[in-house]
Amino acid sequence: MAQLYLQLQAKLMRDYYRDFTKYAKGRKPERKVAWVTAFTPVEILEALDIEYIYPESYAAVIAASGKEQDLLRESEKGGLCRDCCAYSGCYNGALSAGTAPRGLPPRPDVLIATNNQCNTLPGWWNLLAQDYDVPLIVLDYPGEGADREQAFSYVTAQHRELIARMEELSGNRLDDGRLERLIQNSRDSVAAWKKVVGLLPEKDIEPTVLFDGISYLITSRCKPETAEFYTAMYEYYAASPEADRGRKPVFWLGYPLWYHPQRYLKELLPDYRVSGSNYVTWWSLDYDGDEPMEQLFTAYNYTFLNLSAETKRRRLQDCIAASGAEAAISLRNKSCKCDFVSARYIGLPQVELEIDMIDREYLDMDRAGELMGILREIL
Amino acid sequence: MNILSLSGLIPEQICDTIRFFGYDGQQRISHYCRYASDYISQILEDPEIDGAVFPRTCDSSRTIASYLEECGKFVYSFHIPARQDRAAVSYLADSLRRYKTAVEQHYGTGLTDVMERTSLVNERNRALRGSYEHLPELSYSAYLDMVHGLLRKPLREQRVSDDLPSCPCPDGPKVFVAGSTQTGSGIARQIEAAGLHIVGDRLSESHRLVSSPEIPLEGDIFENIALSMLSSMPSPSQDDFSRILREDREELLRRQAQGVIFITQKYCEPYDYLFPTYRKMLDGLGIRSLRITVSGSQSENETALVVETFANML
Repeated sequence: MAQLYLQLQAKLMRDYYRDFTKYAKGRKPERKVAWVTAFTPVEILEALDIEYIYPESYAAVIAASGKEQDLLRESEKGGLCRDCCAYSGCYNGALSAGTAPRGLPPRPDVLIATNNQCNTLPGWWNLLAQDYDVPLIVLDYPGEGADREQAFSYVTAQHRELIARMEELSGNRLDDGRLERLIQNSRDSVAAWKKVVGLLPEKDIEPTVLFDGISYLITSRCKPETAEFYTAMYEYYAASPEADRGRKPVFWLGYPLWYHPQRYLKELLPDYRVSGSNYVTWWSLDYDGDEPMEQLFTAYNYTFLNLSAETKRRRLQDCIAASGAEAAISLRNKSCKCDFVSARYIGLPQVELEIDMIDREYLDMDRAGELMGILREIL
Repeated sequence: MNILSLSGLIPEQICDTIRFFGYDGQQRISHYCRYASDYISQILEDPEIDGAVFPRTCDSSRTIASYLEECGKFVYSFHIPARQDRAAVSYLADSLRRYKTAVEQHYGTGLTDVMERTSLVNERNRALRGSYEHLPELSYSAYLDMVHGLLRKPLREQRVSDDLPSCPCPDGPKVFVAGSTQTGSGIARQIEAAGLHIVGDRLSESHRLVSSPEIPLEGDIFENIALSMLSSMPSPSQDDFSRILREDREELLRRQAQGVIFITQKYCEPYDYLFPTYRKMLDGLGIRSLRITVSGSQSENETALVVETFANML
């Protein structure tokens, strides 16, 4: 069982990084390349046989390899303020330095950014567009605050335009049947992933497994192997021992710390176990609807960070309740102001830590230790 | 009705709002734009203010509603399209109608003068364009004070002064002021005190109004307003850096600027992302630049010193 799970994981990773390094400087891969943000409707790109690369995910990989400080400094030299999202600092630094742990990604033919996650990413993509002198497409998702019918018409016009422009770029025609199958693949991946997430409160599993495991739901969600991989992952971890009830369950509210070997502050939590995390639910997109345009609209207009404050709070409360957590560790992420207020009204004792998901120098460990001590006393 | 509005992207044609420029508030949110956190403070603390309207255009502004959830005041988040095409105009026109309805429902009043207000906005902007064209002859800090002052008033009381003092240093090196909304004219005064001649700006409170196309009063008024809003000087939060660079380049060359002072609030990411490419454009034109980040922690003396050093370089 473990072998199948690891084989599938290795294949997904191999496929994703296949074109890194060799096409970074001039040589063109067979397929056209798009650099996309994490909530781009990639089903459209996959259907048109366009390769897509996720700079944010790669920044996380760079930080995990311990290389982020030099690269953050490199991008700062180029004028990018250190206060900006550290994903962009890290990735742009790698582009300037011409080096990164798994090589550089193939050069983009097009840049596609969405604002259904935050407003920082389109700014970063604008900067990349100036550097690479390639077309930039910004997809504008009004979110839950807008009238549904009005938003549907606006977003669908953009999705149709995206299809037309990507058909032109790739020289391929969109096959509606293929798009439907790819959306079904995404649904299957989300369903399989949700079962994996459901194991965290019950089983003796490190959250690290989920923080790293979700990357395939980001980079490969509409590929058929992803659901297969998550199903194998579920079967493997379902056989794990039960969670140690002697350790108090806590909720990790915010991003993983990509630079940390465990992606969370395990050393400060000897008597606790992480029984839930909201981050691992962010890409559980809901492709509800009768036909592909409606399904894509529902999935990408109503991403978690594009919901109203009230809906976000309700979802978060449900997520925390399902985890059985008795306390929460809430992260104020310097890089992600959008996620600042998710922690309100959760009805549990919590500590609030100032962190950055990429920049390890940002965290004051002594202060974090003191706050954890206070939480321990409260509990 | 005392609605405090954040940013020049809030339409003035629907109803009066009081434009926010600054407040010495108590609400401090770490690593968050001071401008936005002071805005939140004023909404929460100022009993005179009964409503808030703000655009959802950056990461700070998209979370403002969460902080105001329980304030009991009118709270409206305005989604400004990140595109400028036909679909965006149509979407924005619908949003304007929804905004109007929301204000009417909350305040129990009918807003029946959109056409008249549009005409007043056209007139005011025409007058401002006149002042802006003569900016090289005028005191920029006095001009900015006048703009800030009028935007705090109801539309019908806004008068563009034609009696601004003359430029204090007409022979000084010519500079432009760019960046995010200014909380006051303090830095402009320091620039003038350093002997620099401010010949133009790219600030939202000034140039967006000056660049705003005249809105036709025939046809669908909401479509016309939407088109004008999306055709005015874009903010970097509207995701078209190419257009900003193109338009600013033309304006800088037209006014023969020798330097640009780029002033931003700390944690203002749209401008933080614009800056590297903006600086590159200026370097290409041989125009020197100075970046000032207003953090609240820097003293006036420190700012004056860097401006003086920059003036000496020019």
